[in-house]
Amino acid sequence: MLVPIEWIREYVAVTADAQEIANRLTMGGLEVEGIEETENGAVLDVYITPNRGDCLSLVGVAREIAGLFDLPLKTPAPPPSEQGGEAAEAASVTIEAPDLCPRYAARIVRNIRIEPSPLWMQRRLEAAGQRPINNLVDVTNYVMLELGQPLHAFDLDTLAGGRIVVRRALDGEKLTTLDGVERELNPNMLVIADAEKAVAIAGVMGGADTEVTDSTVNLLLESAHFNPLSIRRTARAVGMRTEASYRFERVVDPDGARRAVDRACELLESMGQPRALSGVIDVYPNPSAPKEITLRLQRALDLLGIPDITIDEAQDCLRRIGLYAVQEGDSLRVAIPGFRPDLTMEEDLVEEVGRIYGYENIPETLPIGATTKGGDSEEGRFIARVRNLLASCGLQEVVTHSLTPPSVFDTSAEDPRRVPVRNALSSEIGSLRRSHLPGLLQVAQRNATRAGQRSLALFEVGRVWQNEIIAEMHTPVEFLSVAGLLMGEIEEEGWRKDNAPLTADFGATRGVLERLLEGLHISNAVIEALGEQANDYPQFHPGRTALITLGGDYPVGIIGELHPRLVSQLELRHRVYLFEVPLEALRANAEVEERYQSASRFPTAVRDLAPRLAESVTYAEVQRAIAAANATNLAGYRLVDVYQGSPLPDGVKSLTLSFTFRSGQGTLTEGEISAGLEAIRASLETQVSALFVV
Amino acid sequence: MSDILTEMLTSALAEIETTTNTAELEAVETKYLGRNKGLNELRRAIGTLPKDERPAFGARINEAVAQTTEQIESRRAALVENELHLRLASETIDVTLPGRPQHAGRLHPLTQTANSVKQALAGMGYEFVDGPELEEYQYNFGKLNYPEDHPAMDEQNSFFVTDNLLLRTQTTALQGRVMANRRPPFRCATIGRCFRYESVDATHHHTFHQVDVFMVDEKASMADLKGTLGTFARTMFGQETLVRFRPDFFPFVEPGVDYSIMWRGRWLELGGAGLIHPNILREHGINPEKYSGFAFGLGIERVHMIRTGVDDLRLYLENDVRFLRQF
Repeated sequence: MLVPIEWIREYVAVTADAQEIANRLTMGGLEVEGIEETENGAVLDVYITPNRGDCLSLVGVAREIAGLFDLPLKTPAPPPSEQGGEAAEAASVTIEAPDLCPRYAARIVRNIRIEPSPLWMQRRLEAAGQRPINNLVDVTNYVMLELGQPLHAFDLDTLAGGRIVVRRALDGEKLTTLDGVERELNPNMLVIADAEKAVAIAGVMGGADTEVTDSTVNLLLESAHFNPLSIRRTARAVGMRTEASYRFERVVDPDGARRAVDRACELLESMGQPRALSGVIDVYPNPSAPKEITLRLQRALDLLGIPDITIDEAQDCLRRIGLYAVQEGDSLRVAIPGFRPDLTMEEDLVEEVGRIYGYENIPETLPIGATTKGGDSEEGRFIARVRNLLASCGLQEVVTHSLTPPSVFDTSAEDPRRVPVRNALSSEIGSLRRSHLPGLLQVAQRNATRAGQRSLALFEVGRVWQNEIIAEMHTPVEFLSVAGLLMGEIEEEGWRKDNAPLTADFGATRGVLERLLEGLHISNAVIEALGEQANDYPQFHPGRTALITLGGDYPVGIIGELHPRLVSQLELRHRVYLFEVPLEALRANAEVEERYQSASRFPTAVRDLAPRLAESVTYAEVQRAIAAANATNLAGYRLVDVYQGSPLPDGVKSLTLSFTFRSGQGTLTEGEISAGLEAIRASLETQVSALFVV
Repeated sequence: MSDILTEMLTSALAEIETTTNTAELEAVETKYLGRNKGLNELRRAIGTLPKDERPAFGARINEAVAQTTEQIESRRAALVENELHLRLASETIDVTLPGRPQHAGRLHPLTQTANSVKQALAGMGYEFVDGPELEEYQYNFGKLNYPEDHPAMDEQNSFFVTDNLLLRTQTTALQGRVMANRRPPFRCATIGRCFRYESVDATHHHTFHQVDVFMVDEKASMADLKGTLGTFARTMFGQETLVRFRPDFFPFVEPGVDYSIMWRGRWLELGGAGLIHPNILREHGINPEKYSGFAFGLGIERVHMIRTGVDDLRLYLENDVRFLRQF
């Protein structure tokens, strides 16, 4: 809303400069977004919050300024300015939809001359952002800007039967509006019609046929009150937002309708135009009842937290913005004027007292009362552990979009498990992510091409969505997921490298996953090759991918290498490794209690075995064979090396396993150690056909 | 015999003096003090001496051994010291070479910021609660006192999945979920992702992160809100920070304000706040005559931008590692 200071001074004798007025308005709740110096003086650009429709007028803004500076407000009070001839005889008004149009007031002016408006008015309109057109249009705009009441002028001689009928549009009814566009209407829209047809979309835009032109002689001036919701929906449906509809949407004072049309006639007369005919045609079947709200002083003090406002001060704050109150003991009975429909309850008045008294006078205190336990949620604490563990493995956290385009991970765009956004305008944000993997790949791709960064270790923790389909019912389910990506050299480049840099491979990725599981105290994870199920995961390398099972009957997560086809499709140079696990599965399997185990005081003995095995024997099978040996005093073992090649024959591999033996009871003898080792050796021979050369 | 002893002692002492490292010294030590070598070899000759000369000769040998040993030890100390010096000198490196980078894993700047917000609020007794990002209409709008047909509720302004489910437009949506299950007094907060249909530029994004903080107790006031915001802002931005209120309008608070902080000489708008609207309290069976509450919201991106000078909102979701590694 553009507010020329020169114009404002007609209503309030404020002497402060534009900057000071802007500051006070901003701190009083009307935010001044800019001050422009024009040839007509300073003009403020004021943002009006949707609840303050009354301030979409200069008088409304002047009232706020008067209140904030504690100055008197002078509002236009046009005297009746009439001449012979009854308006009621020249035209008639019928409201057929009183729910959408509670009031319709009109005046008739005959023998008008269309000419330019006086210079002073043109200047003011221009300063307020309106283009001057002619005396009539300018007066209606001027009154709308001044009082906030949109007016509409009809050429009376074009109104069939001299009638105004306010009704719902007929289905399929057509109207060409002032902008020359033919619009199809429907019964949800309110129209102004004459005896035959719609002549205006009520509160939004007039029709071309009844428009005031240079040859117009007789005039019907409309000043009406329309239902804000109906105007909003209609304006949206026809795709037009006008100065009028904008104001009607934010509630215009129904009690101001008559004053506005009188003011327009007064202005016309002052420009040497004929007076209006006698009487206002005013259809207002259910005038709004006077409203009162009681404000208890103590309530205001309690809610504001300002201990020392007196009842006189509170009363005065309200008076300054046009809210008159009478004292009743410790309370104020406040009359609510029609221009403040936003004031509906006691708390609204507390706010008015507070903002006029000044929010800068509110002290800083802290709530007293029961101490409450603060802290992160259980879920939040668990997520923090996951994040810290993955970061400690050298992975950088990323945060990617929830709204995603179709990706290489969608087997088809119509996958019923995808959750589409209903009103997405672009497929780029067309549906909710089902997995973090497409997002991580996009980050990898972007960093590779834009930042030349071809080596990355990334992770993300966040929400993903998937449709649960039961009996053809699709229910979107939201859950948290943890995913990671490793690509290229996973050590940063330095100025000397003694060895070849560590490059991402399955083992490194699995190492990250294992560190995560270990850090969360998850001991029941089973990681097994895709095998037969490879066809279900076409995005992954069939021979380098595994499914992760955590306690349950079927796999919940995946870890593996991106299919080489996709690597080249995404133009990535290195092999890419990925993993993803639902957070809830991790949480459900994490040991809550951490139990201390004392370290043995006795020395350990370490012995190696190097079984030769058929290539097809998996490490998981070797682990099972070792477990089956049930070797006494075996404290643990680890894989040291996997070797294939000369001098081993084709199809044979050799593992080097290092076993640690220890007893809690004493130092183990050589005999005890070899008994354990022999049991393992025997088990490997029988279970996985291991051969031992040494 | 006695001359041999004197000669041997003299040459031993001379050789000790001329050693240049501990290895040479050890060779000399073995030569003169080794088993059956040097001075010890002379002991064997004691038996060949007349009986009355034997004790005196033995004593002289012992004395020569002691003297040699002492000389060796002192020489050794000097040589060890010298060798250490040589080693240190030879090991000198160029300490101005850059460090070799360790593989860095870091948290995303939004996570880091959210963590510091959490820490500040947890210390003031606020318990964090999580709500869904795909939220029910009733919690996002319905129970937040929006007037019918409020512009914010336009379908075009939000991402709807079904008639009843939309991506939450504000973390304030959690208030209804909490108030449905809890009785005052409570102090709660939530941090999470929100979505609005906006075209993306440096200051607008369809995806952003918010913290929403709210409490209900007897006699919670605007002054308590101001004090809480002040304490929070000073924890986040430094002890000099001031808080200012300006009236503003949000359907779910009355009175509603937007608050700014004075930071490095400028007022910066941070977010919206106010007393929880009595209609919302009533909606959840909380008597607004007995209880009142306040709420405030804040953008996580905004906090980070103020603290670090990042000037483009889009950077946070782009995940360029050159950006991420700066934090």
